[in-house]
Parts: sequence; structure tokens; C-alpha cells
Amino acid sequence: MKTILTLITALFLAGISQAQTFKVPPYQKLKLKNGLTVYLMEQREVPLINVSVVFDAGAVQDGNRYGLANMTAEALLFGSAKYTKAQLEEKAEYVGASIETYAGKEVAKLSASFAVKDQDLLFDIIQDVVTKPTFDQAEFDKYKQRQLLQLTQQKESPRAVVNSYFNRFVYDAHPYANPITGTPSAVSAITVSDVRQFYLKNYTTDRAAIAIVGDFNSADMKKRITSLFGNWKTAAATTPKLTEPQVTFDKNRVLLINKDDARETTFLIGGKGITQNNPDFIPVTVVNTILGGRFTSWLNDALRVNSGLTYGAGSRFGTYRNSGTFAISTFTKVSTTTEAIDLALHVLDSLHRTGIDEKVLESAKNYVKADFPPRYESASELANLLTDMFSLGFDESFINNFQKNVDGLTVAKTRQIIDQYFPKNNLQFVLIGKADAIREKVKKYGTITEKEIKAEGF
Amino acid sequence: MNYRIRLLTGLLVTAGLVVHAQNKPKPEDVKTFTLRNGMKFMVLEDHSIPNANFYTFWKVGARNEVHGITGLSHFFEHMMFNGAKKYGPKQFDRVMEANGGSNNAYTTENTTVYTDWFQSGALETIFDLEADRIRDLAIDPKMVESERGVVLSERSTGLENSNYRVISELVKSVAFVEHPYMFPVIGFESDIKKWTQADLERYFKTYYSPNNAVAVVVGDITAAQVRKLAEQYIEPIPAQPLPDSIRTVEPPQNGERRVTTYKDIATPNILLAYHTPATRHPDYYALDLLSGVLSAGNSSRLVKALVLDSTIASRAFTNFGESFDPNLFYIYGIAASNVSAEQLERSILNQIDKVIAEGISDAELQKLKNQKLMEFYRTMETINGKANSLGTYELFFGDYKKLYEAPSLYEKVTKEDVQRVARTYLTARNRTVGYLLPEPTKKGAAN
Repeated sequence: MKTILTLITALFLAGISQAQTFKVPPYQKLKLKNGLTVYLMEQREVPLINVSVVFDAGAVQDGNRYGLANMTAEALLFGSAKYTKAQLEEKAEYVGASIETYAGKEVAKLSASFAVKDQDLLFDIIQDVVTKPTFDQAEFDKYKQRQLLQLTQQKESPRAVVNSYFNRFVYDAHPYANPITGTPSAVSAITVSDVRQFYLKNYTTDRAAIAIVGDFNSADMKKRITSLFGNWKTAAATTPKLTEPQVTFDKNRVLLINKDDARETTFLIGGKGITQNNPDFIPVTVVNTILGGRFTSWLNDALRVNSGLTYGAGSRFGTYRNSGTFAISTFTKVSTTTEAIDLALHVLDSLHRTGIDEKVLESAKNYVKADFPPRYESASELANLLTDMFSLGFDESFINNFQKNVDGLTVAKTRQIIDQYFPKNNLQFVLIGKADAIREKVKKYGTITEKEIKAEGF
Repeated sequence: MNYRIRLLTGLLVTAGLVVHAQNKPKPEDVKTFTLRNGMKFMVLEDHSIPNANFYTFWKVGARNEVHGITGLSHFFEHMMFNGAKKYGPKQFDRVMEANGGSNNAYTTENTTVYTDWFQSGALETIFDLEADRIRDLAIDPKMVESERGVVLSERSTGLENSNYRVISELVKSVAFVEHPYMFPVIGFESDIKKWTQADLERYFKTYYSPNNAVAVVVGDITAAQVRKLAEQYIEPIPAQPLPDSIRTVEPPQNGERRVTTYKDIATPNILLAYHTPATRHPDYYALDLLSGVLSAGNSSRLVKALVLDSTIASRAFTNFGESFDPNLFYIYGIAASNVSAEQLERSILNQIDKVIAEGISDAELQKLKNQKLMEFYRTMETINGKANSLGTYELFFGDYKKLYEAPSLYEKVTKEDVQRVARTYLTARNRTVGYLLPEPTKKGAAN
């Protein structure tokens, strides 16, 4: 998911030269007869080709089979009509190519990167795994066993799981709470047949796009992609649009997750955020930069620089198509848990109380603008951008006007942004730590629910 | 997260291979000059985005430490952001960010590297900020105290979230009995709490002299601009005598060492470490390819045999980084369910024994060489990849041009070389084995 950036103080603005405007390099967009959308962008800095393919096949489609979207994406590479899993790995790795698949909350993607000279082989593999996966049973069984262990092992790192607890706590039964990698009992029950059904239902051309970025001629590439994917027939997409989740709370709540051997308390504090396509996405980004999105952000300044309570503190907006969350995030040693939480709350409160002045806003704007172009520097980043544009429903004007829109933000508007989008009351706390040591102290933040980190799920 | 100060035990750098594309990156693209105070600059223009970076590589890291000041190189890295003469506490970050810049830094066993990223119009501001802290760092006692808490939190969160961190620090401390590579880069907890103002001042004077650093600037700037600003801002900073070289040489290990620790984890984690030569040794390239043979990709030997074709391990990887002095070649494995540390260790050793006894195939060797070429291209695709690699090659290989020559150097490696370095270095006597085991179950005690 896209995290929002940054934040705060400018003391000294010595004649900044204006950054040049950053624009998406030229590209072509076309639609094949089967509905598949194709993006082509020539980039010739190095002799590589990058591919990104996106499907409407993320974890929100899991139902109660948590982990199904993720397993399906992984299983695309377990063998296809022409290649066994071992063969496609050997062939791709021999030429130094990479092919990866993964599922996120809303979409699933395949990404590949290879040398121009190897494109015949790699396009053949990509076509085969995307359109004719075999979901080999033996490979699937071994994968499942590894995955089950990983689900246990990920709980050894609070940082790796705190967001999954937060999503479940905030979204409750809505599919946005589905943990992407699943839960042990759900994953245990998933079969090859489930994966095949999920593939047939959700990997459909009418909601898919393929982006090719790199060292090629667009006319030739158009012919190649048409010949590879033009005859691919899939079912029509049938999944209805996701409902918008209710993310409102009438009181503060605390989820306390016990980890017996914790050295520190890892926590998130937050609530409702914004959708990906919120028209105020950019202003929210700039304001969050000030609160918790860069090194000199108010949160990092208070919790790290001034007090030494933590190595780092920040805040972020996690955005989806139909919803989003806001959260402050940090960690501190067990004995300073409430000191750090109190300070974080104080900083959030001060954003509401005092707002932002011209100088700070100017600094954040410069920071956000300069931080932007390097996100889209490499061909693989550009390929990913194109499939994001498709799946998230924005176009290049978002990128091309980004710097201009940042510049247009006024102090008056930030007041409105803070009031409208930054939670103030009825906050949701998720804490992973030594429960016996902090339970009594954190009662003051709200009604406590307790869990054991080793217990199933989130 | 973009918080500065990451600890790396080795830099991830890629080397080039045979480059035969029309758009061939070449060493002549890099412009270099050395200021009168001895600080060398490398400049590479790249106008693909309106941004640039400024990397400064200092030749100081954990290997320069002794008991009592372990972790000081890393702590000093934090202090370089905490105020100088012109820009006081907090000003470095505030001014940089307000001008469209951001920064980070990392410390390793060998080096301390500072990284600034910015919209290219901010170049002069960056020079002003860097020159101020290199010339006139102010080590404010109040900042020292609050920064101690930050670093203690950094140490703690590493141990909380990374099993590798827990076991690798222990293995290093046993594999080295004399050389300072035995120290964790973050330092001992007791040292972090105790180092003094005088320790910090001495460190600055000893190591932060312009002739002990190399700077790299890459991006939407020109070499002439950089030179002019370097002469204006950096050149007036006087050189100091270079620090003494490291005297201690680790003696050969003559017998396996073993170490065990416990944590509340699901399955055993094990780490094998073998002494290997410094990066400038001719065996570097063969050892690097051996590392790839064992763990680069799903078709590599350890991953295929232990993780994919059987259910011995849930993960396996090797780690062989750049180093000024002879250091370690690491092999890490996480056991699958119901697999003991001993079984996992035996399975890893079987794979090593196979390389030693039978060597590797032509296809494996060619695969690794092909992968190196692709890594090179991917590195050269971004301004940060270019800057980090140029600096790393200059320091560890003695010349940034080696980045471009690496193709031919990897190309020269033969199957026999890979087998020979496996046989030479991956021996029982030269090995340290670390076990990180699950806490023994308490059920027995309850009964």
C-alpha cells in the first residue's frame, strides 16, 4: 500500500531553486479484444525489460479462506503447461531474470525483469504461468507446509504482525481485515481445488492489465503482446464491488497482545483514514509529513530527538480503494510504554490545537515534492506505477500535477484537512508487549481486550 | 521507514559482468578530483530525474573500536546529525528537509556512510550543511544523553525483531578471539550507557579528517558545479594525520567453535561462519560466486535441496560481504517443523561437502555470471545504486573503476576456482557454529 510521506519544520529557507516538474515518461495504452489492458513505455537506460501484470485478485476476495489469494498468486509459479516449477526457475535464473508473484489486499501482481536478449524465453514463461498454470499438487503441499511454519514464525517479530492486528481490530468482519498471508487453520484447510477455483474466478482479462517498460520498440512489442495474450479467454469478472466498511468508534479501545519475552512495547494508535482516490490525498500527505512522515516530523522530534524514548516514531495513512486507516506507529522499552503513548497523544493533540504555520507548510511541500521523482526512477517502478494506475483508477495527471497540487496547498486548507481527516477522539490502540507489566498502566487509554501473540490469527 | 542509521555487517553491492549493450555504462562517465586536503570526489551525471545525491564514505567502523567504546562508530554517526557551528542541534535535518532533501546513514564493521538525497537545486545547501559538520561538529552533552536512549532503543528493537541479529552477534564474538570484528556494530549495552564526551571528541579528531573520506555525487548536476562547490566549501577544511592502521591480525582458527543461546522461537535457527580473506584478496570473486551457488535463487543448492525439494529448512541463505580485513562467510538456516538443529546442520554440511568433492557444473557457473551482469544493470539504473556502488568499489576494491572491470574478473573465475575456495575455506577447523534454540519446554517442570 502506498504510505504517505512526511512533515515539519523549516527554519531556514535559503533561496531554493525550483525543482523541475516531474512527469510520467510517454507511454501507450491499448485494450485487446478480450478486454486485457496493455501499457507500453520505452526506457532505454539499460538493456532490460520489465513487466508488471495486475489482477483483481487480492485478499479481500478470500471469503473465510484467509490466505487463499496469497496462495493462488504464489501457486502461479508452481508449474504451467510447458514448464515444471523447477524448470521455470532454472531457466529464468540461468539468464539472471526474476519473476515474482504476490497478492496484496486488493490486487495480485506478477513482476518480471530480464535482459532484452532473453525476451523470447521470458515472455513465453510469463504467458504460460499466467494463462496455463497447473497448480501442481506436490509443490502445493510443500508450499503449504512452509507457509504454516512462517505464520508461526512471523509472530516472533512484533513489527511483522502489528498491522494485521490493527486491521482486524479496526475493520472487524469486513474483508479489509483479512490477513494477507492467512491464518494456520484457514491455510491448513485450503486445497488445490480452492486455488484453481479462485484463479478461474478472479484472474480475468476484463479486470487485468499488463505493463511493459524497457528497451524495446513499441510497435513490435504491441504485436508480441497481442499474439501472446490476444487469444486468452477467461470468464467475465463476477465479483461485486466491495462494500464500504464502517470505521467509526464511539469510544477509545485498547487491544493488548501479550508477548511473554518482549523487551519493548510495539504499538499503533489510530482510526479511520482516507481512500486512495480521496481528492484530498495530496493535502493529507503533506500534513501527515509534518505530523509523522519525515525525520523532523513532530512525532519523531518528540519521541526520538527530544526524549530518546525510541529509535523512530511516525504516522501513516494506509489507503485502499474503498477505505483507509490512519495510525501513529512506534516502539519503546517496556518501562516507558505510557510515557511514549502519552507523548504521542500529546503530539496528535497539538496538531489539532495549534495547526500548521506557513513556514512549516513550506518546508513540508519542498520535502514532499523532492521525495516524489525517485519513486518512479527505475523501469520496474514505472511498470508498477502503470498497473497501479489501472487498478487504483488514477491516470498520469496525478503524477504530472503532483508538484503543482502540492504547491497549491494553503495554511487555511490545512486547518480543514486536520479537522476532517486526522482522528482526534475515540482512538484505537494496538499494543504488543509484556501484558503483566503494562496492563494496569494502559487501562487509562480505554476498554481493554487481551490476546496472546501465540494464539491463532489476529 | 526512513530513519537514519542502519547497521549493516556487509554492503550489498553488485558487480558488473560482460557488458555488451549499446548503452554501456563506462568508467569514463565518472569524473574525479581530489581536493588539496585529500578528500576525493567522484561525480556521475544522470539527468533522468530532477534529483541528485551526495554520499560520503568515511573509513571508520566497528573495526576501529576497543572494549569500552564498542558501538562508538555507530553512535558517532548519530551525533553527526546533532549540531555543528553554523547549524545547531536539529538544524541539519530541518534545513535539509526544508530545501527538498532527506538523509540517512549507515555504519558497518568497516565504514560509516552518510547519504543525502535532494532535488538538484539544493546542491549548494547540501555542501554548506556537510562542510559545517565535517569542519565544526559540536558535540552537545545534552544531545549525547538523549541519543544514548535512541541507540539503546535501536539495539533493543533489532534484538526484538530479528533472530539473525541475536545469533550473529554471538557467533562473531566467538569466531574472532583477537580482531575487533568480534564486536557488534551497535555496541555492547554497557558501553552504550557509559561512553564519554572525551571519547566522542577524540573520535571526531581521529577519524573525521577530509583525507579519511571519499565523496560521491550522482544525479542531475554537473561535474563542474560539484567541483566548484567542493573547492568552496570542503577544501578549506584542514587535513589531519591519518589514523593508525589496525594492528591486530586474527590468527588462523585451528578447530571448530560452537555456541548456543535460547529464545522463545518456533524452530531452531543456525548460523555457520567460516573465516575468509579480505575483499582485495584474489579469491574474493570465486567466494562471491560460491555464495551464489549455495543460495542465490530457488535453483541454488541450499534453497533447492533444503527448502524446496525437502522439508528440512524454511529458509536458507548465505552472507558474504565486503571487508577491509579478513572476515566471515556466513550460512544461515531456519529449521522446518520437527527438524532439529543437528539435522539442519548436517544437511547444510552435506551440501558443502558435495561442492568440495564434486565441484559445480558449467551451467551453474554461467548462471552466476549471468546473474551478476543483471545485478549490475539494475544497480546502474538508479542514482542511488550508482553512488553506493562507486563508493564501495573505491573503498573496498581500491578503485571505483573496478566496478566496471568486475565483469572480466568474474568471467575469469573457473569451476575449479569455486571448488578450490570451498575446499580451502569451508573446513571444519575454520568453522564456528551457532545455535539459536527454542526455550526448553516447561511441561516437564510442571509435571
